[in-house]
Amino acid sequence: MTKRIRSKITRGSGELAILSLLAEQPLYGFEIAKQIGERTNGALQFTLASLYPLLYEMEKRGWVEAHWQPNHAGRDRRYYRLTTTGRRQLAPLRQEWRSFFQALDSLAGVSHA
Amino acid sequence: MPDWKQVVNQRMAQLNLPVDSEEEVIAELAAHLAETYDAARAHGLMHDAAVALTLQEVRDWRVLANDISRAKLEDNLMTNRTRTLWLPAAANLLAAMLLLMMMQKLGVQPRLLWVNAIEGKFALVFYFPWLIALPFFGAAGAYLSRLAQGGTFARLTAGLSPALVLIALICLIFPWGLLVDGLSLYRLVLFAGGLLTWGVLPACALLIGALPFLRGSRPSKILIGENNHA
Repeated sequence: MTKRIRSKITRGSGELAILSLLAEQPLYGFEIAKQIGERTNGALQFTLASLYPLLYEMEKRGWVEAHWQPNHAGRDRRYYRLTTTGRRQLAPLRQEWRSFFQALDSLAGVSHA
Repeated sequence: MPDWKQVVNQRMAQLNLPVDSEEEVIAELAAHLAETYDAARAHGLMHDAAVALTLQEVRDWRVLANDISRAKLEDNLMTNRTRTLWLPAAANLLAAMLLLMMMQKLGVQPRLLWVNAIEGKFALVFYFPWLIALPFFGAAGAYLSRLAQGGTFARLTAGLSPALVLIALICLIFPWGLLVDGLSLYRLVLFAGGLLTWGVLPACALLIGALPFLRGSRPSKILIGENNHA
């Protein structure tokens, strides 16, 4: 049960992290994982195994769309871009997390600040 | 550098996707591994250490293959539009029509308002108990669509679906009547009356119920205990 809850929290935070990042610019998978790791000082880390099922799920839901783009090194990269539907998810997701942290804060003195 | 495509291909036998999709997934995962390997090498790791580090990206390839297959395929039969629009709309339509049928079976009599048209009389039919119940159906349709993360358009359409279908039917039947009987003022008044009693009024009643659910997001208690895959 605990594991299930943790998995849902991890998944939810992953979605928010990816959507927030893609709201700034289109990125490919490796860069998404790298930037999330760097910008959270390693608090959130994606491996290949955790990143792509989530990306594909979000793509299926129509939150992101992807296209292949060759880079100068000749290696094709699949760039993900936020769709209008995905952009619409961002504000409510942020609000949900804010409410979640507030609830946790009032319960256990755990603040996100 | 290892052939990462081959590495992924060999380990992802469980991947159960259409060929095109499978090739794309393998190419993307291989590209990710290649980038990871390059980054490790750039940090000064030797080839073997870089390969070992890269392979740590996936603890269990079988689980990954299943996760990706599920992410790509599950719900494919049910597209986003089906979840957010067609299902709530169909459920709403079915429920509203069943209620109307039940009322008719139970002998609930409609109120008839006789209208004098130039070429004869006709009755406007009002099923008031049904009209009174319609806001609940409008609310249910819009709520179901919102629950499935439908946008405002989907919520509105799902909420108004019974009226929209009736309007569509009336608009189909009217030209047919014109073809059979020819254009007349009586027919036009009949059409307008039908549109009012079976289209506009039900739409207004449904809209009253749907309105509160057109704004706002899905329920806020999503993080714990709610399926995030919706």
